Amino acid sequence: MRFTTARSRLWGLLRAAIPFLIIGLLSGCLLPPEPKTETAKDVFGLYVAVLVMGGIVFLGVEGFIVYAVVRYRRKPGDDQLPPQVHGNTMVEIIWTAIPTVIVLILFVISTITLNAVEARSAKPGVTVEATGFQWQWRFRYLDSDNNPKNDAVVNGTAANPPVMRLPVGEPIRVILPSLDVIHSFFVPQFLIKRDVVPVGENGTPNELEFTISEEGTYTGQCAEFCGLQHANMTFAIQAMTRAKYDQWLKVAKSGATPAPSAAPNATVIKLSATGTKFSTDRIQVPAGQPFVIRFEITDGQNHNVAVLKGGQVLFAGEIFQGPGVREYQVPALPAGEYQFQCQVHPVMTGTIVAGP
Amino acid sequence: MATTTLNPRAETYQRSWVLDWLTTVDHKKIGILYIVNSFFFFFAAGILALVIRSELAVPGLQFLDEATYNQAFTMHGTIMIFLFIVPVLSGFANYIVPLMLGAPDMAFPRINALSFWLLPVGGLLIFSGYLFGGAAAEGWTGYNPLTQAKYSPGPGTDLWLIGLTLVGTASILGSINFIATIFKMRAPGMTLFRMPIFVWTVLVTAVLILLATPVFTAGLIALFIDRNYGGSFFDPNVGGSPILWQHIFWFFGHPEVYIVILPAMGVVSEVLPVFSRKPLFGYRAFVFATVGIGLLSFSVWAHHMFTTGFVFLPFFSFMTALIAVPTGVKFFNWMATLWRGKLSLTTPMLFALGFLSMFLIGGLSGVMLSSPAVDFHLQDTYFVVAHLHYVFFGGSVFGVFAATYYWFPKMTGRKLNEGLGKVHFWMHFIGFNLAFFPMHQLGISGMPRRVADYSPDAGWTILNSMSTAGAFLIAASIFPFLINVVATFINGERAGDDPWEGNTLEWATSSPPPPYNFDRLPPIHSERPLFFLTHGHGHAADRPADVDEKPEDDVQRRGGAA
Repeated sequence: MRFTTARSRLWGLLRAAIPFLIIGLLSGCLLPPEPKTETAKDVFGLYVAVLVMGGIVFLGVEGFIVYAVVRYRRKPGDDQLPPQVHGNTMVEIIWTAIPTVIVLILFVISTITLNAVEARSAKPGVTVEATGFQWQWRFRYLDSDNNPKNDAVVNGTAANPPVMRLPVGEPIRVILPSLDVIHSFFVPQFLIKRDVVPVGENGTPNELEFTISEEGTYTGQCAEFCGLQHANMTFAIQAMTRAKYDQWLKVAKSGATPAPSAAPNATVIKLSATGTKFSTDRIQVPAGQPFVIRFEITDGQNHNVAVLKGGQVLFAGEIFQGPGVREYQVPALPAGEYQFQCQVHPVMTGTIVAGP
Repeated sequence: MATTTLNPRAETYQRSWVLDWLTTVDHKKIGILYIVNSFFFFFAAGILALVIRSELAVPGLQFLDEATYNQAFTMHGTIMIFLFIVPVLSGFANYIVPLMLGAPDMAFPRINALSFWLLPVGGLLIFSGYLFGGAAAEGWTGYNPLTQAKYSPGPGTDLWLIGLTLVGTASILGSINFIATIFKMRAPGMTLFRMPIFVWTVLVTAVLILLATPVFTAGLIALFIDRNYGGSFFDPNVGGSPILWQHIFWFFGHPEVYIVILPAMGVVSEVLPVFSRKPLFGYRAFVFATVGIGLLSFSVWAHHMFTTGFVFLPFFSFMTALIAVPTGVKFFNWMATLWRGKLSLTTPMLFALGFLSMFLIGGLSGVMLSSPAVDFHLQDTYFVVAHLHYVFFGGSVFGVFAATYYWFPKMTGRKLNEGLGKVHFWMHFIGFNLAFFPMHQLGISGMPRRVADYSPDAGWTILNSMSTAGAFLIAASIFPFLINVVATFINGERAGDDPWEGNTLEWATSSPPPPYNFDRLPPIHSERPLFFLTHGHGHAADRPADVDEKPEDDVQRRGGAA
């Protein structure tokens, strides 16, 4: 019978650990992306502290388990009982007290960082309303005149996820209303997310604040499962100097956002909405040509018209509050059948047929 | 070698085997029904996992559309939690607890049967959504307003709600049964502090089920009313609150995860001492830690809601971190049990040691999530998926396999083959870590969860492919297990009453036990009644004060004539 020494058993164990080392190394260093906002740096630091604490505990406990398995293996033929130790009250007290102290330390450093993350400045540099809906985003840059009609708006579509342009170095406040279900505004490189919760007529939507520390483009994505196209609900944040941002904002506010505009003699579809009903549930448009939807809201609610195919939003007209009229410039649709829908009231739907 | 001699007339009443199992009220048969039924659902939900991982191996939608994917992960989570892990542990508890207590059966045998039969009905109802236009597809957490009728039309979600209501009812009935049995049917001499630890964990679990599940059931009914009768519980447009759903769900949902882990911890607390040849270190501390975890588990639920913006963060963050303390006490007691023991690395012991290692990682990732600022980054990402699988799978499922290998001889009279068992363990252990460890990094770098697809530019492809490989390795590891089970039934090594030199009363009767469990019970003077019987000595706690030094006088000894 082969007699295995403790050393050769240990060597066997180390060899067995190789697949795990490979898994561990390939899995990455367990560090978050490089932080790109001021508070993200605090979170990164806290994360590292917590990871190190966890790592020490892991090595200690796991190391003990491996040691015990090697050192205390029952030798074949050994029938003698080991000392039957039932417990030790002092030891129990010690290993209850010390973890409690560690937990308290963890709580204190957590709270310090949390307060930094949740701090709100008196005057943010930019306030953006980032509205989430199934399954895209719309960003509206609030100015101080309380008139939503002249705000710069960036509409996201499935084909063209929206880009939120922002200045670096200034506090940015993001307001997070939802038009339908719960979404979540998540930017991994900012090490933060906040849920986008529908709060009804009298509620206050969530807000988030951050100060971007470096120019660049940062991807974001919805992080709360919101239905069919949850995985595609992406966006980007582009941080630039204040001067460049001001330049962009001026252009955006004047409504010169590039949208394929219809020819002067393009088809104009008249559509109105009131309550939870459109005036018609079937629209005929010419295929392959941009057209205009002249959309009138006769009640005092928010509505819009969006064009979808197979659940994917191809066009989303701006949501506005009635009574009022807007003209939507809808890009050309290839021949086929589409759906139109109010994104505020998804029960309001109809069919668009793009034909010859 | 049997300590009990069957009355030869006991089996003269012939019944059809099928009818017997369909109408049984014997806790042992019901326990086996629970376990077998649960494993069927385990394989079904496991196949769904393979479907998910196959789709996510590389970017792009290769096999599924979004709707099918969303149903797959919803069904995977729902079935795994409600129809596999809770019932299988319930099944082992059903079989073993009366035996450990020296009782002839559970307190309410017919309710026991009802509790079981509600499960396949509830489970099939949940699955039947696939036949009616699509199963539920909103995640096992069913968040509102997504689960409202206008966003999730069709009967799939309603069938999910009804099925879960039945399953929840089964749980509640079972928990009443366990509490009554444990308090009222212990053998003479078995005070509460002489019960096996497994029984303690089942008791605390039953209390958690009793207090938490009705809250969930109420929420399910409220959502059903919203969806079908114009209710306004959770729709903000008509005065309801979607956040209310989350509170109701997680007030149940968090104790639920302790319902899932505590019995598995109980199994580990039985297996480690037996295969270390030492008592569990710190029995009382362990009991207090278990009760402490049970109490604390009701105070942490909103840590699942840190990013909603509607939660008082400091309280829930503190309580969540605090629950690490009694969990740590348990870990240290387990380690102290191994310390200076004489360890036999049998398959149940390997799974118990695997539990320690994997649950450690899951627990530590949980403590990381308890910090709200860190959670703001990690919530709803694959880090949480990694965490939950390390505790559910690395914890509870490892405990389930430890229980399977440990108690299989008692239930069937045959020992599972050790060689195949070790193959199963190592394939399972490596596959599990390969599947789930990379998910930590995926979440840390920002991959959200519940996504049917991801960007090829995100840099997540390699880790996803690794994870898929691990998933298939786990699936492959089931084969040595199943082959082992079948082969052992056909021609396995016969086990006597006590193949493992156990400490607790289930080993004081034949394998399998007769319908009435025990002919005679040994005297009970400690939490290890059989230890004293076998070794006739030991710590003063094991030695009865009122019996003289020669125990064979009036105590039934195993291995010898009665």
